[in-house]
Amino acid sequence: MDYLLQILPSLLEGLKMTIGIFGLTLLGALPLGVLVAMGLRSDIQLLRWLMNLYISVMRGTPLLLQIVFVYYGLSMANIATLPRFEAALVTFILNYAAYFAEIFRGGLQAIPKGQYAGAKVLGLTRWQTMRYVILPQVVKVVMPSVGNEVINLVKDSSLVYVIGIGDLMRAGNIAAARDVSLVPYLLVGLLYLMLTVLVTAGMRHIETRLNYYR
Amino acid sequence: MKRIQLTKKQWLGNGIVLLCVVLVIGTVWALTKRPSKHWSAQSAHQTIVVGVDDTYVPMGFRNAHGQLVGFDVDLARAAFKQMGLKPKFQVIDWSMKETELRTGHIDVIWNGYTMTAERKRAVLFSKPYHEDKLVLLTMKRGSVKQIKDMAHKRLGVQTGSSSLQMYNDRPTVLKHTVKKPVVQYDSYDKALNDLQVGRLDAVLISRDYAHYYVKQEARPTDFRIVETAFPKEQYGVGMRKTDRRLQAKLNQALEQVAANGEANRIAKKYFGHSNVQ
Repeated sequence: MDYLLQILPSLLEGLKMTIGIFGLTLLGALPLGVLVAMGLRSDIQLLRWLMNLYISVMRGTPLLLQIVFVYYGLSMANIATLPRFEAALVTFILNYAAYFAEIFRGGLQAIPKGQYAGAKVLGLTRWQTMRYVILPQVVKVVMPSVGNEVINLVKDSSLVYVIGIGDLMRAGNIAAARDVSLVPYLLVGLLYLMLTVLVTAGMRHIETRLNYYR
Repeated sequence: MKRIQLTKKQWLGNGIVLLCVVLVIGTVWALTKRPSKHWSAQSAHQTIVVGVDDTYVPMGFRNAHGQLVGFDVDLARAAFKQMGLKPKFQVIDWSMKETELRTGHIDVIWNGYTMTAERKRAVLFSKPYHEDKLVLLTMKRGSVKQIKDMAHKRLGVQTGSSSLQMYNDRPTVLKHTVKKPVVQYDSYDKALNDLQVGRLDAVLISRDYAHYYVKQEARPTDFRIVETAFPKEQYGVGMRKTDRRLQAKLNQALEQVAANGEANRIAKKYFGHSNVQ
């Protein structure tokens, strides 16, 4: 017990970093995902093709590789030298936006064509149709899948170890290597579990709040 | 085949997207052509960025209060103090150390960095500041008492370490006796766990690390250290090939901390014996 209390402060320090990456990634990736999903359904062929290429690259290569490329690759090719945290954040946002975009595309496709026609007959503009008819329904459809990705993000954030950012997993590694013990990992697992349980509860809450027609 | 009919709006949209793509590619191309900046600013800024892996006990790690300590960290502080530079410790992933150095994210690698012929081709080394020897760490209850007992036994080493390289480069010392493929671990604490539960018969490890790890265990007397015939390993500080001036000044500083007893004091603190150079 004494030992747990002794290593807890350093683990909490790591947890702060994990939560920081998690929160900021969501904040960036969700809006970007919506934009990319709209691009996927655009009338402009070149834009559609470009968005499909972006999603293929982001979903088709490991996130770890993408972090290494953005951080080391860009500075070695002399394009941009990003600080560690920013490099990790840019990569996470780009990667997760691709997954979110595909989820949102599915949500948009779930809305029958007739609703667009109906809205047109009612004299709604394109923007009004999106804002008042389509998006409120899409949000409900996509929520469970988004929740899945959000929980994945909590655990994927540990990949930042490769550019030396001190997140929760690294804090556990340090304590485990120093004290030659598995107890720190146990505590790290518990902290991740607590975080995902909290996130799950939050997602459930949002889903019930959105369930106003049932 | 359906013929693609483009409306005026679509032509415009496609044109704008194409323009954006061309602009982005053009900017990136222009950026790569720009002259790369050199990292000779250490003396100007009075700080130097030291790359360390903070999971690498006892050379560089964090104590229970989260402060960065260790033999290399303390020695680097002492040496750079002699040079009038302020060290800034940057945590890195060990597998990326040479890339970090080359891209200028760090200025020196100083973390139990063994001098090997291969590494000498990639980085500039200071003079060696510490020497160590590889040993086999085994359990007393096991049957391994000397090298020749290792026939067909399970051996653990650290991935990408100089000990693994040494093991492969000099097969007559141990490899030809073991015959089986070695098990690789990303850190020694995991290898030691496997040694204790019996998944491994021995771990190939530097003597100083072995002493540190055994001291941390609940029953240190359960372990046995078996000597090997591997040549000594030398630890050096890695720098960029272009930083010759830094190398000269650092060598001088290392001599000073060795002469004034500082190096010995730090070695006693972490290894339990004075520094062997």
